Amino acid sequence: MSEMPDLTKMSQQFYEQWEQGMTAWWDQVLENPAFLSALGENVANQSRMRGAYAKAVDENLTKMHLPTRGDLVRVARIATLLEEKVLTVEDHLLNIQDTLGRIEKEAITARIDAAETRIELREKLAALEARLEALEGGSPASSANRRPRAKKES
Amino acid sequence: MLDKMMEFTKFVAKFKFDGYAIGTAPHEVIFRQNKSCVRYFEPAERKGEPLFISMPLINKWAVFDLLPHKSVIRGLVDAGIPVYLLDWGTPQAEDAPVGMEELLDSVMRRALDRTRRHARNRWNTETLDALGYCVGGTVLAAYCGLYPDSFRRVALLAAPIDFRHAGRLATWADPETFPVDQIIDNHGNFPAELMGTSFVWLKPSTTPDKWKGLWERFDQPGFQDTWAAIEAWNSDSIDFWGEAYRSYIKNCYFQNMYFQDGWPIGGRKADLRKVMSPLHVFAADRDHICPPAAAFGAKDVWGGPVQCTELKGGHVGICLSSRLVKAIAAWSLEPEA
Repeated sequence: MSEMPDLTKMSQQFYEQWEQGMTAWWDQVLENPAFLSALGENVANQSRMRGAYAKAVDENLTKMHLPTRGDLVRVARIATLLEEKVLTVEDHLLNIQDTLGRIEKEAITARIDAAETRIELREKLAALEARLEALEGGSPASSANRRPRAKKES
Repeated sequence: MLDKMMEFTKFVAKFKFDGYAIGTAPHEVIFRQNKSCVRYFEPAERKGEPLFISMPLINKWAVFDLLPHKSVIRGLVDAGIPVYLLDWGTPQAEDAPVGMEELLDSVMRRALDRTRRHARNRWNTETLDALGYCVGGTVLAAYCGLYPDSFRRVALLAAPIDFRHAGRLATWADPETFPVDQIIDNHGNFPAELMGTSFVWLKPSTTPDKWKGLWERFDQPGFQDTWAAIEAWNSDSIDFWGEAYRSYIKNCYFQNMYFQDGWPIGGRKADLRKVMSPLHVFAADRDHICPPAAAFGAKDVWGGPVQCTELKGGHVGICLSSRLVKAIAAWSLEPEA
């Protein structure tokens, strides 16, 4: 008794052959300049028809004093352009925020520098005062003639 | 065999292309402008510089987060990389006049500004790396050409730069036969349906192959989910911003301007020769939308050092590959030379 043919394998082989044949045929068609030219002309004509239809509908709506698709599209475009303007303002605000942040940082740094300088000066002054008092020893005369002490910085 | 056939039929019958949850990684929107936004994905612990991702303008961003266990974004976040993803959004009729200048100088420039501010406040750094996928990569390259010092390092994934090698799309996008002006003048934006149809016909065997693949791997654990996620994403294409598309087709596909004196955008030239940041180009070996030669062409026009890596996969399939996540994470976490 002969073996049954493997149907799955057969159908697979059939598909592969069919696919190869179709691919070769489509490759020829889809790269054929005459076909592409005709296809392009067809797409161009369909596009023109669509444009003409849209224009006719808009004209009819205008005659009926109704807003057209074109009107709505224009309004939506204006909204988009307004959003662009708002975002441009936001850009400026963010840049100002950056600048202020930078200035604030610089100002804080400057204040810290100034405070450190004052502390240094105060320390120097205290050291000078200490030396002066040490030099004066316990001399009451020189103590009486001494100039008034510089007012401490707060 | 019969059981499999029954299960297969049930699966196909109940499957809804638009009813599958994709793009579910937890994130926060830190900036919005018009239809675009920046989505921020935070790592538990930061190990590298923040990564800014420019997604394609023709599909939804969720291709980078299709399934929790097959997600580029989750993989990068798990590797300790803060991810800021620029989702260009879905343009509507009023966005048809939006050109490349508005997308780059207004949307992308501002998105980057807000990203830097966020990264400074959150991570105390303003240094950014950048990754662009598909046309999002081509556009990211244009931004780099206009603002050369924007990023520490740049990576392009399946992003066409040399359009002479862009395969069948380059053959189709011939100024003699492709009526881009008539389409944009009459439709406004480039319609998603037309884009979807053109991708199907780019490789006609893709559709029967898709069903054949589902049948053959139907019993493999997890394959149904992966298939469903890709289909859900693929069936949800979006329009391409009208004037931006006109500029893209005319300057990239028609004239290959990166290989001349740069893509003219808003009176300036996006010249890649000015960009000195290191570039890493990733391409997929079976990509028929952006063949590796079209992506690797960047090495001939990029000013800084360029490295090229070819990965296994197709244009979309590569986004489901753990090899891609590892490669991008390794590139991002690599110490500076």
